[in-house]
Amino acid sequence: MGFTTEENFQAVRLGKTALRHFDSADGIPFPFTASLFTKEQIDGLKEENLTRFESLAYHSIMSAITSHPEIISERTVLVLSSTKGNVGVLQDTENDKNIINLGEAARKISDKIGLSQSPIVVSNACISGVSAIILATRLIDADKTDNVIVCGVDEQSPFIISGFESLKALSESECRPFDIERLGLNLGEAAATLVLSKHPQKGCWQIIGGAIRNDGFHISSPSPKGEGAYQSLCKTIEGTSFDDIAVVNAHGTATMYNDQMESKAISRAGLSEVPANALKGYFGHTMGAAGVLETILTMHSVEDGIIFGTRNFEELGVSGKVNITSSLQQTNRSSFIKMISGFGGGNASILVSLKDKGGLETRNTQFEISHRVVLTQDSLVIDGVSAKLEFSGDKLLTALYKERIGDYPKFYKMDSLSKLGFIASEILLQAEKENDFENTPSRGIAFFNSHASLNTDIAYLETIKDKGNYFPSPSLFVYTLPNIVTGELAIRHHLLGETAFYILPNKDWNRITDIIECMFCDEQIDSVIGGWVEYINSTSFEANIFIANKTN
Amino acid sequence: MEEIILELKEKIIDALNLEDITPEELDASAPLFGDDGIGLDSIDALEIIVLLEKNYGIRLANAAEGKAIFTSIESIAKYVQENRKK
Repeated sequence: MGFTTEENFQAVRLGKTALRHFDSADGIPFPFTASLFTKEQIDGLKEENLTRFESLAYHSIMSAITSHPEIISERTVLVLSSTKGNVGVLQDTENDKNIINLGEAARKISDKIGLSQSPIVVSNACISGVSAIILATRLIDADKTDNVIVCGVDEQSPFIISGFESLKALSESECRPFDIERLGLNLGEAAATLVLSKHPQKGCWQIIGGAIRNDGFHISSPSPKGEGAYQSLCKTIEGTSFDDIAVVNAHGTATMYNDQMESKAISRAGLSEVPANALKGYFGHTMGAAGVLETILTMHSVEDGIIFGTRNFEELGVSGKVNITSSLQQTNRSSFIKMISGFGGGNASILVSLKDKGGLETRNTQFEISHRVVLTQDSLVIDGVSAKLEFSGDKLLTALYKERIGDYPKFYKMDSLSKLGFIASEILLQAEKENDFENTPSRGIAFFNSHASLNTDIAYLETIKDKGNYFPSPSLFVYTLPNIVTGELAIRHHLLGETAFYILPNKDWNRITDIIECMFCDEQIDSVIGGWVEYINSTSFEANIFIANKTN
Repeated sequence: MEEIILELKEKIIDALNLEDITPEELDASAPLFGDDGIGLDSIDALEIIVLLEKNYGIRLANAAEGKAIFTSIESIAKYVQENRKK
């Protein structure tokens, strides 16, 4: 709808939408509604040596920083938020898998804008955008850096659209968030950039609070009570009065389950009277961009004293008490809440305000490691002691499951990345023997790698690439989100704390330590299961994970 | 009918990765979903929808439509027998 915040803001204000109906498209043999860039728009943006996806991110970032060249410094990091990055070109790049390596993509973009620090990619399914804003806030609060450029970006492709169709999550007509006749979501593509700085100019927006919580319920269905979303909201608004909150900008994908769950979480958190809206009717669900895009537009609207209406909302179709806006409203308040939920059971929210949050106190977030497990295709080391193994590769994972676990047949349904993370974590928790973290938010999970879920991406692609044998697999598609492994662990051990998945250009232990330290900025988190979980193929994988406990 | 039931059991075990379960162990009349049966979930239901389309040419628009059909393997077999296109 526009190439600047202002253009997008004006379009939404006038009630326009970027959603269009398509009877079918190349590789998508069914009708759908989505918001997609036109070929002309893309041609105008395409950068030499960058893919379509990378060009979108690059242009969004450049347009955000052009008038602030001081942002580019040695103390500036790019945090890219994306669920699937370059996956759209996977089938054309059989021989060059590096192109779909999200860490590499981020490095290319980061280099091109002139940053010297290595970038971080947040790939935490639909909550990535808000997850990235929370990480950026903490990187500054914990004095890891001075400026963070947060760019949320995702493009659409037959890969993603067929996947959501196989999950029966798509509405063929325009989506209707929170409406009684809602039939599902529409996908969209966007790139949106927000810059966070340690030394903001006067009158800037501030991130006052934020939290990520897992449902510990199911990898693709939200908790019916909205448990994680509720817990995340409670932590986010802890100690603040609601008097200054203009709006709750919900995720509002317009799927049956998401909107129902969010209505429960909002009303349980005591926010029933606060106006709530959703922007999916204007942009569709832009996945990794959604959290950033919707935060930026809500900032702009509150600055202008308005609350957007929820396009296509007519009659309330959820059971939680919520005050959904159907048309534009006026406001004189200066804060808002952005909330978001996604596959893997993750929920995130932030409180954003024009009011000053007061002086910064640098937090002490150091941790110590109590146990460590290193599991590769042919080795297993538990707290420094090597185990004797009879098998290697995938057979090793199955043998370890049978020998050491055996009571969780869901293991067999997991993709390879999840199996690897699951087995390593089970062995890690066996080494720990006892803990008190079940059904509490006190233990978080953060895993890292370079290749996201490449192996599962290739497996899913097999189910859609042959037109005569086109049967997209819903379960494989869900596992193409790398953070699902964190959701599997949360479900298995009823861990309701923060869960996140990060992609780095390489195995950078300093970065991993920094990010895990940042998790302890959330005072409710006392312990984190974290580390490297990388599955390349059946004969090459590595989990190097540990339990990190907060030191006092 | 017995033949379709056995075939369905094999295909379901394969498609849903129900490792360690043999067709004989699967009770064709037991509830497929919920805690007191085989314990399948919403993604399994979607995989069964794919399985029916792939093997029998049966198209179900959504999981809600499949709800009554997916009570047990027996009920799926009956539906397949009456509606199969291949």
